Amino acid sequence: MGLAAAAVAAALVTLFALLLVAILSYRDASNTARHAQQAIASANQLEILALDLETGLRGFIITRRQSSLKPWQEARRHYSSDVKQFLRLASDDPTQAERAQGVVRALDSYNAVFSLQFLEFMKRNPGPARQFILDQHAAGPHRLDPVRKGFKSFVVGEQKLADERNTTAKHTARVAIVLGAVSLGLAVLLIVLLILYLARRVARPVRLAAEAAGRLADGDLTSRVDERGVAEVGALQRAFNSMAASLERGRRELEEQNRKLRESEKVKSELVSSVSHELRTPLASILGFSDLMLQRDLDPADRRRYLELVRGEADRLAALLNDLLDLQRIEETGVQLTREELDLSKLLESQVVLYSAQSDRHALDLDTDDGCVVLADRDRLAQVVGNLLSNAIKYSPDGGVVHIEARCTGSRVRVNVRDDGMGIPLVQQRQIFTKFFRGDAGRRLGIGGTGLGLALARDIVEAHGGRIGFESLEGGGSTFWFDLPLATAGAARGVGLSDSRRSGGGS
Amino acid sequence: MTRPSVLVCDDEPNLRELIRVSLGPGWTVHEAGDGEEALALARSLAPDLVVLDLMMPRLNGLEVLSTLKADPALARTRVLVVTAQPASEVEAREHGADGVIVKPFAPEDLAELAVRLVG
Repeated sequence: MGLAAAAVAAALVTLFALLLVAILSYRDASNTARHAQQAIASANQLEILALDLETGLRGFIITRRQSSLKPWQEARRHYSSDVKQFLRLASDDPTQAERAQGVVRALDSYNAVFSLQFLEFMKRNPGPARQFILDQHAAGPHRLDPVRKGFKSFVVGEQKLADERNTTAKHTARVAIVLGAVSLGLAVLLIVLLILYLARRVARPVRLAAEAAGRLADGDLTSRVDERGVAEVGALQRAFNSMAASLERGRRELEEQNRKLRESEKVKSELVSSVSHELRTPLASILGFSDLMLQRDLDPADRRRYLELVRGEADRLAALLNDLLDLQRIEETGVQLTREELDLSKLLESQVVLYSAQSDRHALDLDTDDGCVVLADRDRLAQVVGNLLSNAIKYSPDGGVVHIEARCTGSRVRVNVRDDGMGIPLVQQRQIFTKFFRGDAGRRLGIGGTGLGLALARDIVEAHGGRIGFESLEGGGSTFWFDLPLATAGAARGVGLSDSRRSGGGS
Repeated sequence: MTRPSVLVCDDEPNLRELIRVSLGPGWTVHEAGDGEEALALARSLAPDLVVLDLMMPRLNGLEVLSTLKADPALARTRVLVVTAQPASEVEAREHGADGVIVKPFAPEDLAELAVRLVG
């Protein structure tokens, strides 16, 4: 773009220079013509002056009247200054200057030899002088011939010189005008090209950017422009794109936050409904059996049985409250662990025994490597295992088998809890560890739970430096797993005996 | 006069026992632990009263209620819905419940309501 502007400027400068040359040449031509006219006029004037000298002198000699000498005297008076002016006007060309000097020399010699000397002669011998003039007159005035010839040659030379100079100046002017016209055309062409260039490389990208900005304003945040524009246009395009990208990113983030917020609202309201149900069911038993005991005469065996039921339901309520408080505490201060070295297979065994006793409709099958020693909080880890076992039981059909296995490999131990229950639909898998989230199946089928167990389990496992996860297929069962670092790397080596146990059956 | 028959449907054994004891000795009581079992027993026994919990495994209480009410063979059978959600009372009545009682309930209230529905 700068190059094109420079070219236009150069063309314009050339144009003006050439126009200046043309104007100067024309002025030169007119100067030359005037000078030639002046030189010719001066030559003519000097020639007339010479003739005045001649005729004045001759008249005086013939008439002998003093008054007849007046033109001669007049000519003598102007002679010196006219000669000087003539020589000056002829001085600009060497040939003409020489010619002029020749004329002046002839004139000077005429003056000196004839005009002055003859006048002296006439004063002394008037008769012969008069006779000489009359003879001369008859023969014609030859004395001035060289002078007149000189003048003629000078005038012709001057005319020729003027013609030559005039021709040269006019030629120069013509060439300058032609070149000027060419550079004018060039400048116009360049200006047109520059305008076209600006329209294509500047105006169009700017218009496109304006259109893109319009789309952006109308809410299309994917609106972008081509970034290949030149210089400032390119900078504008890049700035526009980066602005649009940042707007789009901002809106995506807002939408994401909004979605999360809505999700968490939904989860909260589900929690209220869930907690309400979970509280009301044990409460119904507690209040109902208490009423019965207060209002009816019961035999001691029934009374004792009802009291045990009340006690059990109260325990359930307490557990639910503990879960809620636990989660609250973990959210506020993180998981507080009291770590000790413990044998994971022993902990799994005791949990399996506990949960086998709670369900007479499921079988629990345990298979662990020996010597899986971890540095962990016993109660917290038991909570995790208990939660996974209770889920596996709750979501399996009667008569289902839950497989629990622990494997030490390398520096970690992995525990799998596999059931052949209903599985988790794909759309709900992402939310399984979300607090208070409960699968549709759980709520629809009235399976107990607060939606807190897995959220708590994840917090606890991660606090131990472990990971928790699951694989599940809707209708095809689920496998929940967690892994933990072993207390010492060496302890992992022993593959040990596999402890397989089938429990349940008629407790 | 033969004793009226009642089918108690709840997945919580404790609550089934509470309902049974609350109703008192004047009833012939049958029990079901989930929705499908409840439907099957209701059809085979055609009881005078069904006490139905809304949240049960396998078949939702509301679905059981609709199916029972749509069965002409059970036109005589009254259904008393037990729910832990006060908000679901309206929904239960829309599905044809003859009576609704909210957990927790007083045993005497349940017994009185049951007698009134059957009597």
